[in-house]
Amino acid sequence: MSPAKKKTNTEDYLRMYRQMVRIRSFEDNANQLYLSAKMPGLTHMYSGEEAVAVGICEALTDNDRITSTHRGHGHCVAKGAEFKEMFCELLGKEEGYCRGKGGSMHIADQSHGNLGANAIVGGSMGIATGAALTSKYLGRDDVAVCFFGDGATAQGLMYEAMNMAALWKLPVIYACENNGYSEYTKTEEIAAGSIIARAQAFGIEAHQVDGQDVLAVNALAQRLVDRARKGEGPFFIELMTYRYHGHHVGDINREYYRSKEEERDWKENRDPIIRFRSWLVEEGLASEAEIEAINAEVKKDAAEAVEYALNAKYPDPSEVDMHVFTDVKHALA
Amino acid sequence: MRNITLSQAVNEALAEEMRRDETVFILGEDVAEAGTPFKVLSGLVEEFGTDRVIDTPISEPGFMGIAVGAAMTGTRPVVDLMFGDFIFLIMDQLCNQAAKTHYMSGGKLNVPLVVRTNLGATRRSAAQHSQSLHALVAHIPGLKVALPSSAYEAKGLMKTAIRDNNPVVIFEDKLMYNDKAPVPEEEYLIPFGVANIKREGSDITLIATSSMVQVCEAAADILAAEGISAEVIDPRTIVPLDEEALLKSARKTSRVIVVDEGHQSYGITGEIASRINEKAFYHLDAPVLRMGAMDVPVPFTPALEDLTVPTADAVAANARKLVSGEMIHAA
Amino acid sequence: MPHEVIMPALGMAQDTGLLVAWLKAPGDAVAVGDVLFEVETDKSTMEVEAQADGFLTDVSAKAGEDIPVGQVIAMISQTPDVTASAPASAAPPAAASDIPEGQIVIMPALGMAQDTGLIVAWHKAPGDAVTPSDILFEVETDKSTMEVEAGFEGFVAALLAEAGEEAPVGETIAVISTAKPANPVQRSRAKGTPAPAPATPAASTASKPATPATPAKSKPTPAQPVATDGRILASPKARRLALEQGLDLSRLIAAGHPQPYRVSDLEVLKALPTATPAGAAIAASRHLVAHIASDGFAEFARWAADAAGQKDPGALLAGLVAGSSGKAHVVAVERFGQIQTYTASANLRAAALSDDAPELLIRDLRGSRIATVRMGAETTPVLTIASAPEGFTITLECAEHQLGASEAITLLSNFAGRMEQPLRHLL
Repeated sequence: MSPAKKKTNTEDYLRMYRQMVRIRSFEDNANQLYLSAKMPGLTHMYSGEEAVAVGICEALTDNDRITSTHRGHGHCVAKGAEFKEMFCELLGKEEGYCRGKGGSMHIADQSHGNLGANAIVGGSMGIATGAALTSKYLGRDDVAVCFFGDGATAQGLMYEAMNMAALWKLPVIYACENNGYSEYTKTEEIAAGSIIARAQAFGIEAHQVDGQDVLAVNALAQRLVDRARKGEGPFFIELMTYRYHGHHVGDINREYYRSKEEERDWKENRDPIIRFRSWLVEEGLASEAEIEAINAEVKKDAAEAVEYALNAKYPDPSEVDMHVFTDVKHALA
Repeated sequence: MRNITLSQAVNEALAEEMRRDETVFILGEDVAEAGTPFKVLSGLVEEFGTDRVIDTPISEPGFMGIAVGAAMTGTRPVVDLMFGDFIFLIMDQLCNQAAKTHYMSGGKLNVPLVVRTNLGATRRSAAQHSQSLHALVAHIPGLKVALPSSAYEAKGLMKTAIRDNNPVVIFEDKLMYNDKAPVPEEEYLIPFGVANIKREGSDITLIATSSMVQVCEAAADILAAEGISAEVIDPRTIVPLDEEALLKSARKTSRVIVVDEGHQSYGITGEIASRINEKAFYHLDAPVLRMGAMDVPVPFTPALEDLTVPTADAVAANARKLVSGEMIHAA
Repeated sequence: MPHEVIMPALGMAQDTGLLVAWLKAPGDAVAVGDVLFEVETDKSTMEVEAQADGFLTDVSAKAGEDIPVGQVIAMISQTPDVTASAPASAAPPAAASDIPEGQIVIMPALGMAQDTGLIVAWHKAPGDAVTPSDILFEVETDKSTMEVEAGFEGFVAALLAEAGEEAPVGETIAVISTAKPANPVQRSRAKGTPAPAPATPAASTASKPATPATPAKSKPTPAQPVATDGRILASPKARRLALEQGLDLSRLIAAGHPQPYRVSDLEVLKALPTATPAGAAIAASRHLVAHIASDGFAEFARWAADAAGQKDPGALLAGLVAGSSGKAHVVAVERFGQIQTYTASANLRAAALSDDAPELLIRDLRGSRIATVRMGAETTPVLTIASAPEGFTITLECAEHQLGASEAITLLSNFAGRMEQPLRHLL
């Protein structure tokens, strides 16, 4: 465990633990919904990367904005979203965060500052940077965090956005979740040179951190967020992490690009939840029984939300041409 | 009423809106001290400073994306895209992000931004600085598209665009920046989706956009001398489109030519002609004709470039055929 | 609460999974993460883990079966006993318990984006012996009709859908057993009810379909484009106004006015003299009137309907004209505003509806107030029947070139005579 300064507030630690378990539980249920053919379409699992989203989002407020990715359930939960609206969205139901119009890959929750998941790899680099521009333009101290994967470092937009963010000293943090794979290809096969050096070339302060260590991620995030609020941004973080599932839930047979041994090693020896749990117990911040109670409570919440979403109603057909424009109720009428 | 140039009209619209609403700002290449290559924005940086008239690097996708994020979070950016041809560079941010955000979020997120750019050939600028690409964006649900045809429209439509809560793309005719037209001193807005009957007529309707409105007015003059009364209608915005006004005129004259500077195939002219065919068929006394730019990249040499766009003479010649009842197989 | 064990969706475009083997037996204790069974998809073989702790019960699928994704194949229960009611939600009709044991034949996926297949015909009957290469049935998809082989050696133990029914891809539609079945099953998929199976299984005859084949794919041939010859070329607006104002655009053709017609041409049309069309095509017309004191036709029509089964007065009129003319065989009859064309001859029963261009028109105006007509020549000779104070009048109008003077007189005389005494026609 990292030598992160022990927080005085046990509640904060337990909330971080609970948020990580909520992400894992959400993904386990989403995976089951897919496997049992109850969920339309595909989805991309965040399992294994929980410490990244939770470590960073726990350093943010609802006024701070994030942009998310196709692997975005973790960011959404960590930023404060509710299970019920999330499962409804995954199942295309009217009560979903986007009334079923976005789905897994476009889930957005602006009430907690989540500007939405983006299904174009690297597509939100400009959006997060723009949110930071608003913050600076309006004289606020809000920070924007741009979550993206190692694969997005191959998109030109990232360099254009980082260049302007550095020129204009915008309060944006680029959070590169390096899970080792760009879809079905090893990152080392698609990224030449160093990833943090890309940001450093623009004069952006860049850090690499163990993305499986929630305390280390959170400590770094707290520090950088505070500095960004003071106008010292932008910053860049490369978070070394791992995705337990394939690129998406249908990517089952993946031994041609990575071995089962490798997957087992990450799951058994570097799992962010197991690591944090044992730290909490060792430090005497929670008993095994208390931890189990949290787990059971989250599991129950998730099961109830799934049940609710399965029975929730779909949007009315008349919604199909609503929300095309803000000022036209039915675009095709 | 005073006469001012289209450049001045756009400049006034931006200045008025920036004074009215502090969340409005401009970003783009060489917009501040340079005032753009066409000098449309000259003077704005002096009044509003570089915080609100922001020079960007030559990074169209980057500053377009930044504008989308800024618009989603409480400001009203006006993106200056130096040439309409560069719209290909910003397609993902404009069409996948800005256009879809309101819908994908179930109506929870808005993207109130304006992209102001231009169209129009015959400036001897060759194939990558002469295109009229408004049909590309008009095809994407979620984007509004305005095509001012004079200084008056340029000001009124720009002010409406800035106040709109949706992404709006305005294409100005870059050959018209120095053309003067009467523009009121007092403030006015031009609502979207309201066509303007530039000239009333009874024998044939010429539906014209942007640069082609002048061309069709000249064609109407030629025809008038021959005793043919042509009505010229400018839709002013193609999304939303004032379909009813166009149909009404079609029903009145029974003959229609649609003229637009975009490439003729798969373009605005085909869309409008098709709607008239579907909804005013039994009022048509002749086939609806399309006249667009030739389906070729815009050539550099004046000897060829001038052949690629519709002219007043060509419009008049087609109008004559329709009115005389000549068998039309192709325009 | 028992936890359902479901055939998972593993690939991107997978409808079914082949259950390779169970690694737990019914009644076994299982824990989360234990491998329950192996599934083979198009891509690979995968192990599927238990998602709950408990005992494996209610195993409803066997190794070797292809199972639709989402179907419940077992339960994980609190006790090792079989639960009282197995979940029925996802079980298709084919999974019902009265199906004989054997190799399962499913509706195959034949196209790229195919969800169902239409069974065109069964080539084997229940009880028939089959070899793997025997054609078992024909399937129609959006693209084509395909023959499907049995794939197994044995006997047709069950046919679970009828010819003409559509079945989802992956659904079991037949069972082939190793032993000759005692009670082969045959039923309809839709109703799930048994269809009458042959009392004694028919001998294996590969060519004999079990049920009458539904016509496979008789897609209607697209309508032939109408030849432009003879069509009137006019603008949509000109056509609409002509219709609204009762103007006949064909008169412009007859007048030699050049096409296409536009609204302005309607003024030319209105200016044409009504009786004598302008132009040289039909320069003059013949106008002959006959008067008949007593109407014999009405009674004749009743007799024909009762005695001869000819209930269409129009057909009778057409036959009488054909008999009168000896020349015209395609006759149009206009009654009460409706025009019906017949191929007619002197044999009144032989009159039949026709699409050919008429050679002569009968206009029956007896239902109207019109007493005399002078319409001018039309595209064919026209016989107009109108009511008179006593009996009725028959007017023949035609162009000179259509009928010679004596031909016209003969036609009208003959027809008037037949209308007065229809029985003369039969003599």
